[in-house]
Amino acid sequence: MGKIREAWHFLFGDSARAFGTLSVALVLLLAVVPVKHHFREWAQYQSRYLQLIRQRGDAATLQRRFQGGLRQTWLPELGVVDRCTTCHVAMKEDSLADVSTQPFRPHPPIPHSLTDFGCVMCHRGQGAATTVEEAHSSTKAWEQPILPARYIESACGQCHQNALVGTPQLNAGRRLLARYGCVGCHMLRTPDGVQVAATDEPPPLTHIAEKTTREWTYAWLKNPQAYSVSATMPDFKLTDAEARDIATFLIEQSTPSGAATKKASLAGEAQEGASVYGEAFCASCHAVQNAAGLMVGGDIGPELTRIGSKVKPEWLDEWLRNPKGYAAHTAMPRYRFTDKQLWLLEGFLMGKTDSDLLANVRLDAATKEQAVHGRVLVNERGCASCHEINGVNRPDNFAPDLTVVGSRSLAKLVFAPGVAHTLPDYLAAKIRQPRVFGNQLKMPQYSFSSAQVDELVTALLAQTERAQTLPAELRQPEQAVSHYQPAGKAGKLIDDMQCFSCHAINGRGGDMAPDLTWEGSAVDRQWLLSFLKNPNTLRPALIRRMPKFNLTDAETATLVEYILTAYQTPAFDADSIDANKFTAEDREQGRQLFYSRYACQACHIVDPQNDKGYIGPTLTQVGARLSPAWIFHYLKNPQVMRPGTVEPNQHLSDENARGLTAFLAAQKGAKK
Amino acid sequence: MAKAIEAYVNELRETRLWRSVFRSGTGATSLHRALAVQQNIFLHLFSVKMRRAALNVSVTWYLGTLSLATFLILVSTGIPLMLYYHPSVPQAYADMKDLQFVVSAGVFLRNMHRWSAHAMVLLVFAHMFKVFYRGAYRTPREFNWVIGVVLLIITLFLSYTGYLLPWDQLAYWAITVGSNIMSAVPLLGQKMRFLMLGGNSVNANALLRFYVLHCVILPLAAILFIGIHFWRIRKDGGLYTGEGKTHE
Repeated sequence: MGKIREAWHFLFGDSARAFGTLSVALVLLLAVVPVKHHFREWAQYQSRYLQLIRQRGDAATLQRRFQGGLRQTWLPELGVVDRCTTCHVAMKEDSLADVSTQPFRPHPPIPHSLTDFGCVMCHRGQGAATTVEEAHSSTKAWEQPILPARYIESACGQCHQNALVGTPQLNAGRRLLARYGCVGCHMLRTPDGVQVAATDEPPPLTHIAEKTTREWTYAWLKNPQAYSVSATMPDFKLTDAEARDIATFLIEQSTPSGAATKKASLAGEAQEGASVYGEAFCASCHAVQNAAGLMVGGDIGPELTRIGSKVKPEWLDEWLRNPKGYAAHTAMPRYRFTDKQLWLLEGFLMGKTDSDLLANVRLDAATKEQAVHGRVLVNERGCASCHEINGVNRPDNFAPDLTVVGSRSLAKLVFAPGVAHTLPDYLAAKIRQPRVFGNQLKMPQYSFSSAQVDELVTALLAQTERAQTLPAELRQPEQAVSHYQPAGKAGKLIDDMQCFSCHAINGRGGDMAPDLTWEGSAVDRQWLLSFLKNPNTLRPALIRRMPKFNLTDAETATLVEYILTAYQTPAFDADSIDANKFTAEDREQGRQLFYSRYACQACHIVDPQNDKGYIGPTLTQVGARLSPAWIFHYLKNPQVMRPGTVEPNQHLSDENARGLTAFLAAQKGAKK
Repeated sequence: MAKAIEAYVNELRETRLWRSVFRSGTGATSLHRALAVQQNIFLHLFSVKMRRAALNVSVTWYLGTLSLATFLILVSTGIPLMLYYHPSVPQAYADMKDLQFVVSAGVFLRNMHRWSAHAMVLLVFAHMFKVFYRGAYRTPREFNWVIGVVLLIITLFLSYTGYLLPWDQLAYWAITVGSNIMSAVPLLGQKMRFLMLGGNSVNANALLRFYVLHCVILPLAAILFIGIHFWRIRKDGGLYTGEGKTHE
């Protein structure tokens, strides 16, 4: 006690002592500032870096390039102030590639300059911070911690709306968003303000009673994947009564399509039906699950594994005769099948049944109450967001807008129990199991694989606020959508046969078959005529091939005339090279170039007896198919004539190209 | 040594330069001392004489002086902070980050400013309680009590306006809530809110308004009223030392 009193007296005994004591205390207190300044975190990293490079062979160079002190990338037009390079000092020192300790690893090579974009644009995190904790994982005073590396492709998607080769995950995610009906309910805009459109073409339900039954509709609503493994329709977690009422309502609202309903053809021979199915190349668009559970066929049209359990035979007949009569915007071509072919094909398809599907479906008789309740449910669940339904309007803003979901503030999110408090984890949980966030939520249950969930999250994380405010010169817009529509009679035919489902012309159309934009310059009239009459002549070995459309002579002539007139390249005149002027010498020179100098037989076949090239198309009849001018210019620069072709550009001289053209133009196949 | 210094200081005080600044001259008489106070612009607000009892800690707990001290700290840290701060919407928060991560002693400056602000509110309240419970507000000091109340309100408004300036979530929502409370005033509520925010929501205009209030209008008002407050202490008979010891 005495000691304390003594000490007190020593320190605060009189006003002079008290003043002195407090002054010393204040000075000590203020001394904290320079001390803390001296022990700054980043300064420690920089001195560790200097120690690290001292032991290396290129110490002098590294030392010279090292710039100490606070470093920052400042890009005012992007709103970037990144001080990451204060600690990550060796970002551009490729010679340190073997260093594994962070923060001293150099950045892996990327297509952009690091100083043009800074760090946070791609990696997120708090760029302004100069401490590890704050820069990497701050969630309180900065809402965007470092983005886990597996979502890094989302960063590219902020500027690039177009599909890049280097971002498969992002591209796949974007395709999924458009294909699985996400954009049916959710608004999603690109930074250019373009609304992302659904690509899955959900069928209109306005005439559904013609197509199928109430029982099938019920079974489908209860579990779409039980009917079709590849169905994009999600599970809406409906109760039995709800599914029954919706099915009742859908059948009730259905109106006649007005298409002539003929008496159903009877089941034909399954075997012959299968060959019609094969010849028409239905599998190019439609898939069927084989015995091993694998999907065989394309994914443009719906899966047909259990089609016989779904559709009514009358409808199938009407549909195959005239698809647009039932659904005006369908991608299904009108095949012009003969009655015999129809009979066989319908028999084949109606035989594809699954007795388990409707085995346990016992529905009460349809009542007025069911239909009324069904209509309420259809409105509630937003069915009309994707499907056209009589008397139900497409709901606006049915689900939250996802345009800037990648910047959504964590403070505004409600996390389900067990979900880590980060934006990617939130999005993944929402996609994986929406209903854990609340039973009353309307978002349906999808059955995505975890890779697909990652792809979707990546695509969603690309939808940032920053993407919306980027300077125009950084924006890489999606390939402009072409609304090219060919004119006249030929245009109607092209529409009717849905050529655009497989072929692209002037930027519109699919990529399953060759681009026809310059087809008129490429092909020979006679060949084209006979090809349209019987497409099986070209590449008979391919699984996906042009189907036969049973065109009339007049229709074929119209199409040929149109293609040869309208689809001419401006690059050269198709008649500029006359095959008749080639001499035997020219052809011989070409042969030598073909076999010796350029070894074309490695990929192509000219002589079916000896050549073994299967990578490129067979050229035995190429002279009959292609115009010499096209062959010449194609050889000179294949990528210009057919963008994306694997044909290498050999940088041929005009003389060599001419020789090869002479040789190839002479390959007209076996004389008939 | 000590004598030499004293002699030197005395000599200094006799120089013409010194005398031109401090005209009261040297001397230990009451007159000299009174003149020294009266002729100094900073001191002339105070009484030239005061009772020794008024200096005892127990009389005032120095709460008024401490309030002034925190105010001076706030002014002296606030001015350097103004050098780093832009009252504009995207920049304001970025400036906080610069103060936190880049500016030397930036965190110290901000923390000093913040804690002093808290301390000032606390001290001003304590000062008022002390004055109230000791009865020091009574005649002839009732007007100075009113000035004190005005100073309390200015202090609270300084705190409130300063709260928005970092432009973070805390600031934004605090001001949103505060301004909504204001709009509950009958009849004039909405108008007052609009006037204060310069709009219907907390946005760039509100930030600018709060900045000007915080850095110009309210500090000037505070200085003015502090001046009146101190001057009135002298005019009302010096510090209140207790019942019966003051003038009528």
